[in-house]
Amino acid sequence: MDFDLLTSPELLLARIFDGLNAGAVYALVAVALVLIFKATTLINFAQGEMAMFGAFLAYIGWSEWGLPMWIAVVVAMILSALGAAAIERTLIRPFDPSDHLPLVIVTLGLLLIIGAVAGMIWKFDPRPFPELFPSGSAFRLGIANLRWYTVFTLAAAVAMMALLQFLLSRTKIGLAFRAVSSNLESSELVGIRVGPTLQFGWALAAAAGTFGAVIFVADPVRQIEPSIMLSVLIFASAAAALGGLDSLWGALVGGLIVGQVQTLLVNVFTFIPNEMALAAAVFVLLVVLVAKPSGLFGTARVERV
Amino acid sequence: MSARWTIVQGSPQHRIYRWVGWGSFVAAVLLIPLIVADVAVINIGSNSYKFTMSQLTLATSWAVAVLGVQVIVGYTGQLTLGNSFFAGVGAYLTAILVADYHWSYVSTLVVVLPITFLLGMAIGLPALRIRGLYLALVTISIAALLPSFAKLDTISIPFTGKTISELTNGSNGKDIKSISKIKSPDWIPWDGIAGFFQGIPVVGKFFGEGGLSARQEDTLYKYLIMLAIAVIAFWLVRNLLNSRVGRALQAIRDNETSAAVSGVDLALYKTLAFGVSAALAGVAGTMYAIDIGFVNSDDFGLFLAVNFVVGLVVGGVINMWGAVVGGLAIVLIPSMARSTQSVPLVKQSWLQGPVGPFVQGVLLILLTFVLPGGIVYGIRRLRARFVQVVPPELAAKGEMEEPPEDYIPLMEEPPPELSESVPD
Repeated sequence: MDFDLLTSPELLLARIFDGLNAGAVYALVAVALVLIFKATTLINFAQGEMAMFGAFLAYIGWSEWGLPMWIAVVVAMILSALGAAAIERTLIRPFDPSDHLPLVIVTLGLLLIIGAVAGMIWKFDPRPFPELFPSGSAFRLGIANLRWYTVFTLAAAVAMMALLQFLLSRTKIGLAFRAVSSNLESSELVGIRVGPTLQFGWALAAAAGTFGAVIFVADPVRQIEPSIMLSVLIFASAAAALGGLDSLWGALVGGLIVGQVQTLLVNVFTFIPNEMALAAAVFVLLVVLVAKPSGLFGTARVERV
Repeated sequence: MSARWTIVQGSPQHRIYRWVGWGSFVAAVLLIPLIVADVAVINIGSNSYKFTMSQLTLATSWAVAVLGVQVIVGYTGQLTLGNSFFAGVGAYLTAILVADYHWSYVSTLVVVLPITFLLGMAIGLPALRIRGLYLALVTISIAALLPSFAKLDTISIPFTGKTISELTNGSNGKDIKSISKIKSPDWIPWDGIAGFFQGIPVVGKFFGEGGLSARQEDTLYKYLIMLAIAVIAFWLVRNLLNSRVGRALQAIRDNETSAAVSGVDLALYKTLAFGVSAALAGVAGTMYAIDIGFVNSDDFGLFLAVNFVVGLVVGGVINMWGAVVGGLAIVLIPSMARSTQSVPLVKQSWLQGPVGPFVQGVLLILLTFVLPGGIVYGIRRLRARFVQVVPPELAAKGEMEEPPEDYIPLMEEPPPELSESVPD
């Protein structure tokens, strides 16, 4: 164990800040996964790639069409929402939502296709992404440096969560959304148009995912390239499963936990080598799921025969 | 729609029909390597596709891996995507034992089988609680772990006194073929065999000319070893699935609760299925090490996990022939996509990008839509239009069984011809 880390508040704080930084990004992608799971009890393995594609659209909007960065981000979010709605209509809706395997296969297929198309169009050389947030640090204590980027990313994650929560619990479309996810057939019987509602869920998730990916690549230490979201997807899905696949706040908490595991835990217990950040996260996930099979905040499903 | 020919089960015609079918399969498996001993080139349009022995041997190893995925996903209904992890473990164990301890390649299976089996059971334990998509998420994360495991440099392995990354040679990859090569024994008269086939009129020219080089002989010998391992694996799994264990696994797949009520020990059979599946992946890893002679951890990450799913879907989920087709698909799709340099109406620069994954993705979605039982099921439906095998009782009554009209859903009942689908 690294007792330096436990006795030196600076170092500890520095690690916590690093963890917050990563965790907020995981939360942003995890919330997209959760949205789709809530609506369709399906995990979209292509979520990360869709988000990457959206971030590329924002980049193209900024660098080639000359749009102001934030406008480009909004345009990209709208475009990816439209794209996701089209994907839901053509590739997802024909399948029985209770049969998981075909849907998992289709989303894995989408993962390959979207990644490949992005690779064909934009090639694999990384490009610098413009900074969205002011650079510099918001708070500094010795080596502990809380960057504005971290603050804004965290704020964005919380704001998005609050917005989605509001949308789902206070608006009519949110009510329809919750009805569909709780019982598809009954909500059809009371007159909810199930198809468009699910489509709305996909569109919303894609927009959220794009926003997450844009923020992720906007970190000055990163550059945008087609395979950037693959590893994020793994961490984000660990975060989503950790928090409970059908809980929005669970995604935020799960994301922050995975972020802390990745930086803090791995550095406190020095016998866990750095390469094992992912393994540590998976291990925590396993432990949580064995204790609570539907995650920390997820609803347990009762199975009937 | 009735079939053109009807064959009564157990009749002499049926026996001939089966012999011809099996005979041509065995002939293809044994003769294609002699034809492809070097490189076979097929030209389509302006693209030339190369088929090499190394692809064929690799396909046999991935066929075993896909079989392992079928056992757990198709027959037991557990949605796990992490088998590439065990393939990596198997490949590394073989590589280390061969390169550092000078074992022979095939004898490493003695270590690989129990270790991957136990590892698989260890993963199966949490799977008793974790279900459905949660399990898919956990296992795909495990699949993503292998490359970082292989680069661990702080944990040392007992008895060896070396760290994992020293044993696996970290990110450089473990080279085995420069240390130990599989050599064809002298008693196999390769030149005589090649000469025999070259002497056959008309078809003889496909078998090349003159004797085989030493390298070609070694490749063919390697292929035979791998083929033998694969045949044994398929035979054992077939027996397992046709036994009490197999029926218990299928009961678990169809409905866990009712299986438990009927007296199936869920904990035992599920972990057993995970163990068997992982052991098959481990064997596939060993075969990979035999074939390639070089193991690099990055080849066993997420991409391979997705590849196994591709093999599973292309071949079919619950049909052992599907595993053979799946193994071939895993090898052939990327390599053919790479050699496709011009397609009408498609920009040339796009074809230099990641065409392989693109084709794989399109195939995944297309097959799920139009042929959810995989290619093997499609071939069976096609065959049912021409040949139909009926049991004697039905033939006596003059009733004809209708060939299957609709496709089968992926995860539901096995096709009626399942018992016939495995070799006997």
